[in-house]
Amino acid sequence: MNVTRYVPLVVKQVCRHRVRTGLTVSGIAIAMFLFTTIQAMQRGVREATMETAADTTLVVYRKDRFCPLTSRLPRDYASRIGRIEGVVSVMPVKVVLSNCRTSLDVVIFRGVPKDDFLRDRHGAIEIVAGSLDDWRRRSDAALIGETLAKRRGLRPGMMFDAAGITTYVAGILRSDNPQDQNVAYAELEFVQLAARSGLGVVTQFNLRVADPSFLEPVAEQIDDMFRTAQEPTATFTEKAFVGRLAGDALELVSFARWLGLGCLVAMMALIANAIVLSVQGRIAEHAVLQTVGYTSRLIAALITAEAMLMALVGGGLGATAAVVVARVGSFALSVEGQSIPITAGVETLAGGMLMCAVLGVAAGLVPAVQASRRPIAECFRAV
Amino acid sequence: MNLIECRNLTREYHKADTVIRPLDGVDLDVERGEFLALMGPSGSGKTTLLNLIAGIDAPTAGTIVVDGVDITRLSRNRLAAWRSVHVGYVFQLYNLIPVLTAFENVELPLLLQKLSRRERRARTGNALEAVGIADRADHFPRQLSGGQEQRVAIARAIVTDPTIIVADEPTGDLDRPAADDIMNLLTRLNEESHRTILLVTHDPQTAGHADRVIRLDKGRFVSDRRPESVAEAPA
Ligand SMILES: Nc1ncnc2c1ncn2[C@@H]1O[C@H](COP(=O)(O)OP(=O)(O)OP(=O)(O)O)[C@@H](O)[C@H]1O
Ligand SMILES: [Mg+2]
Repeated sequence: MNVTRYVPLVVKQVCRHRVRTGLTVSGIAIAMFLFTTIQAMQRGVREATMETAADTTLVVYRKDRFCPLTSRLPRDYASRIGRIEGVVSVMPVKVVLSNCRTSLDVVIFRGVPKDDFLRDRHGAIEIVAGSLDDWRRRSDAALIGETLAKRRGLRPGMMFDAAGITTYVAGILRSDNPQDQNVAYAELEFVQLAARSGLGVVTQFNLRVADPSFLEPVAEQIDDMFRTAQEPTATFTEKAFVGRLAGDALELVSFARWLGLGCLVAMMALIANAIVLSVQGRIAEHAVLQTVGYTSRLIAALITAEAMLMALVGGGLGATAAVVVARVGSFALSVEGQSIPITAGVETLAGGMLMCAVLGVAAGLVPAVQASRRPIAECFRAV
Repeated sequence: MNLIECRNLTREYHKADTVIRPLDGVDLDVERGEFLALMGPSGSGKTTLLNLIAGIDAPTAGTIVVDGVDITRLSRNRLAAWRSVHVGYVFQLYNLIPVLTAFENVELPLLLQKLSRRERRARTGNALEAVGIADRADHFPRQLSGGQEQRVAIARAIVTDPTIIVADEPTGDLDRPAADDIMNLLTRLNEESHRTILLVTHDPQTAGHADRVIRLDKGRFVSDRRPESVAEAPA
């Protein structure tokens, strides 16, 4: 059977019941907007905290401390850590936040020795605007993460003021690492001075090991080395470190999963309600279709297709809006100097649409089948 | 051979302990090309009989053979397919689909047939032409008068060129001139295109268009006449 010839029928039913379709579609769009946004947050969490086989970065933090303000380590730990077997590079980092809250618009300053930084990130970052030479030359220069630059509208040559630090924007950097998105990299001493903390004190060390098999033994050795020191350390892989500091926010995001589920349930109820009301109002109509020879199965399919079409239109609008907002806004959830980006892409959109199609069918099927199986003669008596 | 042969046709409804029997063992033969009117008081079983013959209701007992096929033995799906080929139903309240134009309403039954889009559109146009409403093809039902809506409904009933046309009080909701219009149209379809028509009506003048009038009461036939005078009268 060629089903395409029935498509116009379904489209007309959806388009020409304007009020019903308008209300249903806007409800679906709102639910899908929320759902997609939550999906995007969860995707960001996965990107920021899921370890991949290629990760070779460790972060050394002050033991039992959970925020950049209180994690203070002597800078000279670097040379001792650098001597451990398997360690390729050690970079002391001073972190300063514009804002201590968990927020969508935190600026993270990282003071780093410029040469260490460039050696460490060689090949992993790309300068998309401005120049590295500028950055090297000026002591107040900063490299700005692409996401932050987009959010704050920063371009090379501008002065940028946040967290009581005024820097010159020398370049915009692009990187796959979520922790490079929301950040301004400046010279270590410059950040230390601006933050009025001592020159000998840093927040953390980022170090790279030769290959993933070194991650565990190196972390153990470092923490052993400083166990009895005045400032003991706690060493984690970068992703685990993010998970540890952002733990509360991650719990919130993972709780948001239930909100997402709630959106889907609400959406299904909305579609089912629209279809139930619509088939009740169209009893005679479906009886006419049966009379002229439409089988119950065909009628059920037509009604279900209406549900699916409304779900796809509403879902498409909502999900697209969510993806656009996430992309244009370049939001990232910042917790204690760690960034959880909100990332939505084509896959998020495609996944959302698939979900809509499935929900539309699921919500429409039962009322559709019921409507299509009513005894015809009784339908005409009922109206 | 008769086109329609009903034997011992009975329809019962069971409500609690009582049995309602709107049709009580009737026999009916209808020839091909006949124009038959069913009359009788309200509740006498006219619609019930019409629905059984049209295959949209199933009898409690008895058989209905149409063109050699006992439709009481057909499965639900085969009965639907049978209706799409053999029956055109005209309702008292037109029952057009409000969101579809006149053209789209008439086209509806043809979607089930293996026709090219072009043939389908041509046949739909012809049906609208035949009922004299081609100029209103793009109008929605709410933009048409009752008489015009009924014309569209008749176009929908004849567009598949069915074996029988059944009409349940097709003029019941219309004033005299509009009713006469519709009856002239049905008469023409019967005389010129030799279509078999079963019509239910309360109105003797409407019944006068038929070549045969059957009266029902309490689910049984009380008379079956061929009013020659009316049959010979010009439409
Ligand atoms: N589903 C049902 N359950 C119970 N009784 C029913 C049902 N359908 C019809 N009846 C009864 O069958 C009887 C005959 O109904 P039918 O509609 O055939 O009468 P009719 O001759 O067409 O009347 P009218 O001229 O008012 O249209 C009525 O008494 C009606 O109440
Ligand atoms: Mg009736």
